[in-house]
Amino acid sequence: MIRVENLSKTFKVNRRMRKELGDIARGGHVLAVDSVSFQCEPGRVLGLLGPNGAGKTTALRMIATMLRPTSGRFFVDGADGVANPREVRGRIGFLTGNTGLYDRLTAEEMVRYFADLHRMSASDFERRRDELFDQLDMHGFANKRIANLSTGMKQKVSIARTIIHDPDVVVFDEPTAGLDVMTSRRIVELIRSCRAQGKTVLFSTHIMGEVQTLCDDIAIIHRGRIFFRGTKADFEAQMTQPSYEDEFIHLVGEA
Amino acid sequence: MTRTVTIFRKELKDTMRDKRTIIMLVVVPILVIPLLLGLVTKLAQVMSARAESDVSKVAFIGQDYAPELLAMFAEDSLVEVRTDVQVGDIETLIQDDSLDGAIVVPPEFGRRIEQDRQATVQIYFRSSNQLNVTERRMRNAVEAFDEEIVGGRIRRLNLDENLFDAIAVTANDVSSLQEVLGKTVGGFLPYMFVLLSFTGAMYAGIDLGAGEKERGTLETILSSPANRLEIVLGKWVVVGLVGFGSAILSMVGLYLGVQTVADIPQEFLDVAWSILNVKVFVMIASLMVPLAAFFAALILAGSVYSKSYKEAQSTLTPLSIVIIIPVVVGLMPGVELNLTTALVPILNVSLATKEVIAGTVDPLQLTLVYVSLFALAAASLWFCVTWFNKEEVLFRT
Repeated sequence: MIRVENLSKTFKVNRRMRKELGDIARGGHVLAVDSVSFQCEPGRVLGLLGPNGAGKTTALRMIATMLRPTSGRFFVDGADGVANPREVRGRIGFLTGNTGLYDRLTAEEMVRYFADLHRMSASDFERRRDELFDQLDMHGFANKRIANLSTGMKQKVSIARTIIHDPDVVVFDEPTAGLDVMTSRRIVELIRSCRAQGKTVLFSTHIMGEVQTLCDDIAIIHRGRIFFRGTKADFEAQMTQPSYEDEFIHLVGEA
Repeated sequence: MTRTVTIFRKELKDTMRDKRTIIMLVVVPILVIPLLLGLVTKLAQVMSARAESDVSKVAFIGQDYAPELLAMFAEDSLVEVRTDVQVGDIETLIQDDSLDGAIVVPPEFGRRIEQDRQATVQIYFRSSNQLNVTERRMRNAVEAFDEEIVGGRIRRLNLDENLFDAIAVTANDVSSLQEVLGKTVGGFLPYMFVLLSFTGAMYAGIDLGAGEKERGTLETILSSPANRLEIVLGKWVVVGLVGFGSAILSMVGLYLGVQTVADIPQEFLDVAWSILNVKVFVMIASLMVPLAAFFAALILAGSVYSKSYKEAQSTLTPLSIVIIIPVVVGLMPGVELNLTTALVPILNVSLATKEVIAGTVDPLQLTLVYVSLFALAAASLWFCVTWFNKEEVLFRT
């Protein structure tokens, strides 16, 4: 479970950025995430929606403990993310469109590296690796260097790397950005399978099709603030526009 | 600590598979010194061959007073004798290169020799002229003539030749050969070790810092349970090892150079072998440990601040020039290892290496060098860790 309480993040900006951002960066600071609160439950998928620059990535990076919140708190399976970031990182699997791989390692070495960082025992690693490599059909290229793999194969390695330690919470930041239909589909399947296993899933996107087919809960963020939070049914009940996309544009325009 | 070891092992494996790093770590140090050695040797040979085959223009003044000596000069095909020069013009002519040397025989020369007394001749030359070939040729001729005269006198008087060599003097410079060469040529070698240690570590450091951002693996590693300190330590040890390895491999290069390059000038060979002596090698290697540690922290800090490989390169390349400055200062005459210079980073390595090679290092000064280098390495590591913990550095836009 993820519980986020009044999470905020302020960034200092340099002179160049101040000029580009204008009023938003008055005083040399930008409020990227502004008192955000939400909760993700086990066995459910929460979609964090928002246009570019809304604060999605900053919010998720805080939950992954890469960035320190300026104020507010969050808990991952009870572990306090501000006081105990390492424990939080041990409990989540984090995957983004940008999380790259080490080209000079083989697929197996890459996955093993993360298992070692999670301090998995050799037997646990082997069992889990076999399970994931079977599921993702990775045995054929397990010992090939990542540089020589296709985009689809790399995506599978990324997935195996993310969930090798069998985390109860998975966080995906625009995981399908820039991927073709086939590889996107694999991510969608991963999210479904995580939900089926009772994991807590938080993912950010601006693709409404994914929201419609995958999400149980929705939070819409714009200019750092959440202005809609509820179940998918709640969202549909308040819709005034014919489609998810139209409704999203309408809401963002009003906000 | 185990995560640091995990990161170290992964980074080492990753780095050893990087062609660019391997070229900078292994190929460059092993090839650079032999190539340089070959070049210097060739250059020395060409220069000395040219000097040896050059004809010396020597003025001979007072040819009427010592015709036999003039005849000896004329026999030497590499000496062109001029007898039309006035004594007062000698210095000007030598300075404007019209003459290479001059020999002046005074009018009483013949008379004094006949009377079995000592006669004098004056020779003029310019000592700044390369290799002093003219001086040697003039001295050789005069000494040969001298021996002929003395020999004649001894035979005429039917005396033992050793009677005139009551004391045989063997010249001994107070400074040992090792000391002289160590202090002169020795300064050049730490320049190589220091520079190769830095350039060797630079590519590995760029790959492990800015490379993570460029490949998009920074978020991947930051999302793992390893904390920033563990990540930095793992990377720092690898970069430091690569820098240290480059310095050591440059010594291997020196050894290979000495073994393979033919006709290296003796002075150079002596210095090379004095470095390849086990004790000196160990001392230099031990100086390179804290220096490589300092370089690694510096490179990693610069690298992780950069957004891309290219930016890291343009940040760190000028730094390699900054690093050369203290080394060059160490090469200047009069700059010696003392309680102050022992505290100046890099300069102290250059000076201490010179002293170690010369065998004149003071234990207190050497201790100070180590203490200051280790303190610097620790401070730079602390800075690097602090730097790595800054969000505005890691996620710089």
